[in-house]
Amino acid sequence: MSLASTFTVTLMLLLFAFFLTTDRGLQAAVSVLESKVEIALFLDGNAKVSEILALKARIEADPAVSRVEYVTKEQALKRLQDIADRRKDFVLATIDGNPLPSSLEIKLSDARQAKRFAEELRAEVGAGVVADVIDNPQVVDQLLTITRVLSVGGVAILAMMLFVALFVIVNTIRIAVHARRDEIEIMQLVGASDWFVRWPFILEGMLVGALGAVVALSVVFAASGPVTTAMLDFLVTLPISLGPEFAFQLAASVLGVALLVGAGGATLSVRAHLAK
Amino acid sequence: MIALDDVSKRYPNGTFALRDVDLRVDSGDFIFLVGASGAGKSTVIRLLIREELATTGRVVVDGEDVGRMPRSRVGRLRRKVGVVFQDFKLLPRKTVAENVAFALIVTGHEGRLVREETERALSLVGLTARRDHFPSQLSGGEQQRTAIARALVNRPRILIADEPTGNLDPVTSWEIIKLLTRVNDLGTTLVMATHNAEIVNALRRRVVHLDHGMVVRDEREGLYAA
Repeated sequence: MSLASTFTVTLMLLLFAFFLTTDRGLQAAVSVLESKVEIALFLDGNAKVSEILALKARIEADPAVSRVEYVTKEQALKRLQDIADRRKDFVLATIDGNPLPSSLEIKLSDARQAKRFAEELRAEVGAGVVADVIDNPQVVDQLLTITRVLSVGGVAILAMMLFVALFVIVNTIRIAVHARRDEIEIMQLVGASDWFVRWPFILEGMLVGALGAVVALSVVFAASGPVTTAMLDFLVTLPISLGPEFAFQLAASVLGVALLVGAGGATLSVRAHLAK
Repeated sequence: MIALDDVSKRYPNGTFALRDVDLRVDSGDFIFLVGASGAGKSTVIRLLIREELATTGRVVVDGEDVGRMPRSRVGRLRRKVGVVFQDFKLLPRKTVAENVAFALIVTGHEGRLVREETERALSLVGLTARRDHFPSQLSGGEQQRTAIARALVNRPRILIADEPTGNLDPVTSWEIIKLLTRVNDLGTTLVMATHNAEIVNALRRRVVHLDHGMVVRDEREGLYAA
């Protein structure tokens, strides 16, 4: 077991931990932003209440919709007045009547459905109930593109690192097997089972993995304090918290991957030797 | 105990190591495999412990078809077939007793059984006094006796010796042969490949002569050369 192999495994695991953390943060960011994705549907002034309620019920039935709120003309005006009261630079001119339309505010549970859903509703514009449909497709699209690129890129880099780590373990164990080849030959000669020959090496592979995991996790947890402080300015806009539950999941995942890679690499290595 | 039925071994380059070999060895037999280097003696031995598989034909050891046996059973086969080599194959960093006990430990035995069986095998080969020596501190004959003890410690039905006296002087060779005949007298089937004409001629046991992969002579109470 060499220092170099432990070091390589550590690097791989650090990358894995970084990827997990970033992915978790991004997921949290996406879900926060997703919950803010809304479609506003302005209603025709001549629409009957029964028609509006029927439309509301129809929208609510769609699985992509989490909540539909009916905002009447009066409520819309009251909101505008509330905003005006809070902001000194905002003066509401006194006008006769209420120019604001009533609307349905649609919150979506799945942001990816926003575009399709808005299109469907827009098809009903002019039919007597729906006056206009407002959504903000760019925001949603951009967000989803970023997530996709990051997850695909992350998985690709991780796969590459995993391959490198596996390769290093295979080679480390190959050296260990080579050093004990006489012993293995005699073991096989006197009738030891393949498993009896294999398990010490698999254990050694797992030990290399576990050592790498301990070093990687030490680095991650030592760095987590300063990094969090530095990132706080950036993250404060989003209610993301990576608490002790996540720390535990992270440690378990890193250790699990380390043991798997160690055992897997060793198994490959010993199998190659036994097949000779 | 051992049966080779119409066995051929052909290597990928087309050369035959064995050609249509038929051989039957009964329980308790002592046979010499003789023939020039490359005649196929070692191939027969490798087939018996399934280090190699026959290209055609059937190899049966103690009632089991060796060629059809799954890999997971090979260990059990080898515990029934002890093997001794010309170069002893001892582990240099283990003592005599540890080398012998190794065969028991790696086949899943432990504790008192390992100690008792190791001592039994050591006393059989007369090395009890040397039990804590390392191979480098032993004579060639003592090293071979250690290897024989290791081959016998799992109480095999068959003992195969591949040129066991090849590295030993005549006097020591006789010691080893005496030991092997005693092992055979105790009921273990013995197959010995050898170039040592003097020993074959003196013992007058069954001789199976291989030449270019074929059995050219199979005699009871035979001589090294016809």
